[in-house]
Amino acid sequence: MQVSLRVCSLQDLEPGEGLRIESVTPPIAVFLTEEGTVHAVDDTCTHQDASLAAGWVEDCRVECPLHESTFSLLTGEVDQPPAKKKVRVHEVQIDGDDVYVELSQEAPNLPPGVTTA
Amino acid sequence: MTSYIAGSPTEGHLLIIGAGLAGYHAARGARENGHTGPITILGDESLPAYDRPALSKAFLSGTVTVQDLALDDPDHPLDVTWIGGSSAVELSASPLGVHTADGTFHMADTIIIVTGAQASRLPFSGTRNPDVYVIRNVDDAMALRGCVAEGKKVAVVGGGFLALEAASTWMDRGAEVTVVAGEANPGTARLGQPVGCAIRALHEQRGVRFAEPSRAQEVETDEDSQVLRLADGTRIEADIVICAIGATPSTAWLRGSALTLEPTTAAILCDDTGFTGVPGVWAAGDCAQWASQASGIRPIGHWQEAVEQAGIVAAALTGVPPAPFQEPYFWSEQYDVRIQAAGRLAQADQVQILEGTIEGGDLLVSYLKDGEEVGILGMNRLREIKRWRKLRQIKHRAALAA
Repeated sequence: MQVSLRVCSLQDLEPGEGLRIESVTPPIAVFLTEEGTVHAVDDTCTHQDASLAAGWVEDCRVECPLHESTFSLLTGEVDQPPAKKKVRVHEVQIDGDDVYVELSQEAPNLPPGVTTA
Repeated sequence: MTSYIAGSPTEGHLLIIGAGLAGYHAARGARENGHTGPITILGDESLPAYDRPALSKAFLSGTVTVQDLALDDPDHPLDVTWIGGSSAVELSASPLGVHTADGTFHMADTIIIVTGAQASRLPFSGTRNPDVYVIRNVDDAMALRGCVAEGKKVAVVGGGFLALEAASTWMDRGAEVTVVAGEANPGTARLGQPVGCAIRALHEQRGVRFAEPSRAQEVETDEDSQVLRLADGTRIEADIVICAIGATPSTAWLRGSALTLEPTTAAILCDDTGFTGVPGVWAAGDCAQWASQASGIRPIGHWQEAVEQAGIVAAALTGVPPAPFQEPYFWSEQYDVRIQAAGRLAQADQVQILEGTIEGGDLLVSYLKDGEEVGILGMNRLREIKRWRKLRQIKHRAALAA
């Protein structure tokens, strides 16, 4: 069953920055781009345990804070090593000031050593 | 406008000597830039290229597997031939090629030498083989991983990040760890006093002991004990000694070849495209010293540097504009603290704490030269370090020209 979760308010988001949401497992990252769009993807880089919310957002992609892999905020796909696998993309709905997310039903691509347990 | 001429025929045989990070990225770059000829990668280890940073951390602790270390993507493998267990023994400039230990001669149109470096070791004396380990390749890390840690006395020799990562992993595994380094606060000379103090605090808070700063000289063994002897006369009893005292370029096979080696380190001397001066032969990564490294502008032995050099060689071979060098970048993981640094730290004449405390494991430090910021270091400051690097990123020349 698909459920929409309220994860934050628009006021919690800063343009060009990500916000890590730990109330879901695995954690997700919500981004407000400089262009004003809101996106949600899995927060953990698929290569190594690093929070993508702390990454660099540009051209609707987020670059991992540790290395140079970037992930599309629209499709989740990765452009270059060291990450090999995509992150999941979660559907975002805005209702007034509230940001709702419908979590992807795919299995997450978590890095080695990171589990959802 | 600059035009770029391919240094290697597109359909020729590209032979890469060394199956490490630089070798993988050189092959990947050549393919991406349109090299259509065969690419062969010779490695002296049995595995295809793998990522080494985890060897002293997540691999050593058992969190990640050998499969996880692979650089190539099994779902989208590079179109290359990997030949493992094949040590290069001689370079032939004409005809161009490399002889390997099994008696094969590998002919090539272009050669990239990326043989990396090998760990330095301490001398030993005594009646049995000592339990002394280095951490350079997967076999080294496997051997260490197989040792019982709980309650063992471990001496870690060295004050660099590799040594401190090993200390952190072995503390987490339940050993009693003593660090033997040349500095009381390891890293002070290179990273500044606040960072050296913070690193020592980080380890002392977890129970690591630090020997008085001195140089380790020798490991002595007898039937039932093992002692690490220091230059100041101190003797440290240790069940296991881990040596992280640096590495030297793996270039012994090139002595007497047409290549020019640096007289002291034996690194292969190259220009800033990786060209060795011998037609068709290039070098990158830890076995090489590029002109900008010789002059101290660029660092030596960093993961990021090997990746960038490999990309530049691949561009030079295929005639595409090379990506410009970025601000140097390196990182470490010790316990739950990620240390990241970027910029030209060696040039700084002043180190300033921007945020955090020495005891808190959360320092953010700025490096200044003549009052201008030239570098930054953060402990668990991923957001700040990424921003610093991105704001100083030099975009591709092609993009600038457009």
